[in-house]
Parts: sequence; C-alpha cells; structure tokens
Amino acid sequence: MIARVLSGDRIAARELYDAHAPRVFRLAFRLTGDADLAREFTQDTFVRAFSQLARFRGDSALSTWLHRITVTVVANAMRKVKRFRERETDLEDVHPIGSDGAGVDPVLRERLHRAIDALPEIYRTTLIMHDIEGYTHTEIAEVLGVAEGTCKSRLSQARAQLRATLADLAPEFEP
Amino acid sequence: MTDERFEQLMRDAEKTYRVPPEPDFEGMWSAITSQTAGLTPRNVPALPDRQEPRGFLRSSRIRIAAALIVGVGLGRASMMLGHRNVPASAPAPVAVAAAPAARADTNMARPYEVETSQYLGETAALLVSLPAEVKSGRADQEFTGRAADLLTRTRLLMDSPAANDPAMRSLFEDLELVLAQVVRLQQNSKRIELDLINRALEQRDVIPRLRTAAADISAN
Repeated sequence: MIARVLSGDRIAARELYDAHAPRVFRLAFRLTGDADLAREFTQDTFVRAFSQLARFRGDSALSTWLHRITVTVVANAMRKVKRFRERETDLEDVHPIGSDGAGVDPVLRERLHRAIDALPEIYRTTLIMHDIEGYTHTEIAEVLGVAEGTCKSRLSQARAQLRATLADLAPEFEP
Repeated sequence: MTDERFEQLMRDAEKTYRVPPEPDFEGMWSAITSQTAGLTPRNVPALPDRQEPRGFLRSSRIRIAAALIVGVGLGRASMMLGHRNVPASAPAPVAVAAAPAARADTNMARPYEVETSQYLGETAALLVSLPAEVKSGRADQEFTGRAADLLTRTRLLMDSPAANDPAMRSLFEDLELVLAQVVRLQQNSKRIELDLINRALEQRDVIPRLRTAAADISAN
C-alpha cells in the first residue's frame, strides 16, 4: 500500500487514511479532550505522514509510526494551549458518561478524570495509551521512543499519583 | 480490595474518560487533500538509483557551484584570449574589439541558458510552495536547505554572463533578497517572516517576472 501511495495512487492514500484515521482520532481526542483540536491534529498527522512517507523505512508498524506522529503533533501543540489542562469543566459536557459506566460514584469518577488531566504529560500520555486506549507497553515504548521499562515505570508513577489524589475521597485506596 | 476498587475505577474511566465523538472523516479527508495538493505523493522524490559521485562532489549544491565557477572561468579566459588575438594594427579597433566579446557571449549562452532555466523553474516551485510549507509546518531544514542552494546559485549566476541582460540581473537581485529571507526563516516566528517575504514578492512582482523569464528562456 505504501508503494502505491508513493507512486501517486490516490485510492491507496484514501485506503491508508480509512484504515488508520479512526484510531489516530481516538488517540488525539483522548489526549486533548477537545473534538476540534483532535480533528485538527488528526489532519496534521496525515498531512505530515503523506509528506514524509518516503522516509518511512518499515522499522516499526505503520500504525506505530502514525501514532508517534500523532503524539508528537499533540504534545507540541498542547504545550502552546496549556489552558486546556487547567480549564474549569462542566462535568457532563466534557466527559460524556457511557452507559457502561454505571455503578461508579459520579463524584469519584469526576475526581479521577480531573486527576488524570492533572498528571504530568509523560505520565498522562502513558496512562491514557495503556489504561484507556489499550496499547501494550511494547507499542507505547515504540511510539514514545523509550524503553519498555521506562514505560512501565511511568505507568506505575501515574497510577500512584492518581491513588494519592483520590485518597481523601476514597479512604480504602490509602496504602 | 483496594487494588480491585482502583482497577474498577480505571475500567470505568476507559468507558467514560473523554469518550471520543463520531468524527467527520470526510471533512478531515478533504482538508488533508487540500493541504497536500501541492505535495502529492507523486512529487515525493524517489530514492536515487544511480551512482552518486564520491568525495566533495557528492553534494548537488557543490556540483552545480563547481560547474558554474568553471563556466565563469572559461568564459573570462576565452574573452581574454579573444582580446589578445586582436592585431595591434587593426584598422577598426572598435568593431574588432566588440566582436570577440559578442562571440564569447554567444558561446556561453547555451550552458547558461540551461542552468538559468533550471534555476528559475526550481526557484519558482520553491517560492510558490512557501506559504503552504510554512502553514503546515513543513518548512524544515530540508526546505531552507533548498533555498540556501538556490541562493548560492543566484549569486553565481549574478557573476556570470547570464546576468548580462539588465532585466535578468534585476530579477536575480530580487531573488537573492527573497531567498536570503527564506533561508533565515526561524521556527518561532515563521508567520511574521512569511508575511515579510510575501510582501517582498508582491511589491517586486517577483513570481510573474520569474515565470516570464523562464518562459522566454524556454522559448529561445
């Protein structure tokens, strides 16, 4: 498919987009929490990917390469948009509650969401990719360009910080 | 129990934390294709399949510069030789003196026309794609490297017979200014610098003159 895209085959380019855009958008949205930004970053990811596709050497899966671009695009842009990390949010507008989420205290849930938002970027990205989006440590390590051990350590740190933040609301989480 | 409760919360977060809405995939695709219109995959340079020269001539920039320097040297040498061959007792010194110079220009014309034509085409392509490159953040080192290459060629052409035509010399001078600005594009202030470059391009009517000059050379 890559060879076809490089040869100018627009249908192949569209197939590549169709195959990967949903997950790229999901990742961008989970990292930003903003539909417009996620849309913009998804577009940026594919514009960059198509312009740099000739440099893709196949050292990793195409999806890994695309997600690496996504994370880079989001990280670079979000540093300039810090307000999104500090914003006051309306509970139901920004974090739509899925039907499967019943059974968890809404206040605790919102505290958890805010605690995730407040994590340092490297911990938050790792936690979102692993616990929310279901990436493996191997995949995250490739996307972020770090060792798997580093990835596991970051996840552990992220979870520890969440527990500490939630401790006052849920005493049973205290060590 | 504590761990279980926390895992339960995280499983809940998987379903409730920033639940992605249904995106407008068609709209995004349209935006992507419009942004990549000037940079279709067809235009992505293929990997070189020929043997590259070794040593310092490996760089295309250096090869072009070397060719131009040799060309300028040969041109000047032939002009000097032409002057030396003029008999001291020539009855019509003005006409005889003019002849070798004219002959030298004619002899030099073709290689410089080819180089100038290629140069104008590449410069036009670079300047036309500049706004899109900057807007999309693709105006990277490779792009400014191409501009630096073209700036070097501009300066070499300004010192060559290709700049004998006053209109062409004026165009080279304007392009030198614009390309120098492109080379200095800084990552943090590209928007402002792009505005300055666009203003320079518009005020000096550079792109239309560039296209006209390229068309004239091609027609010749």
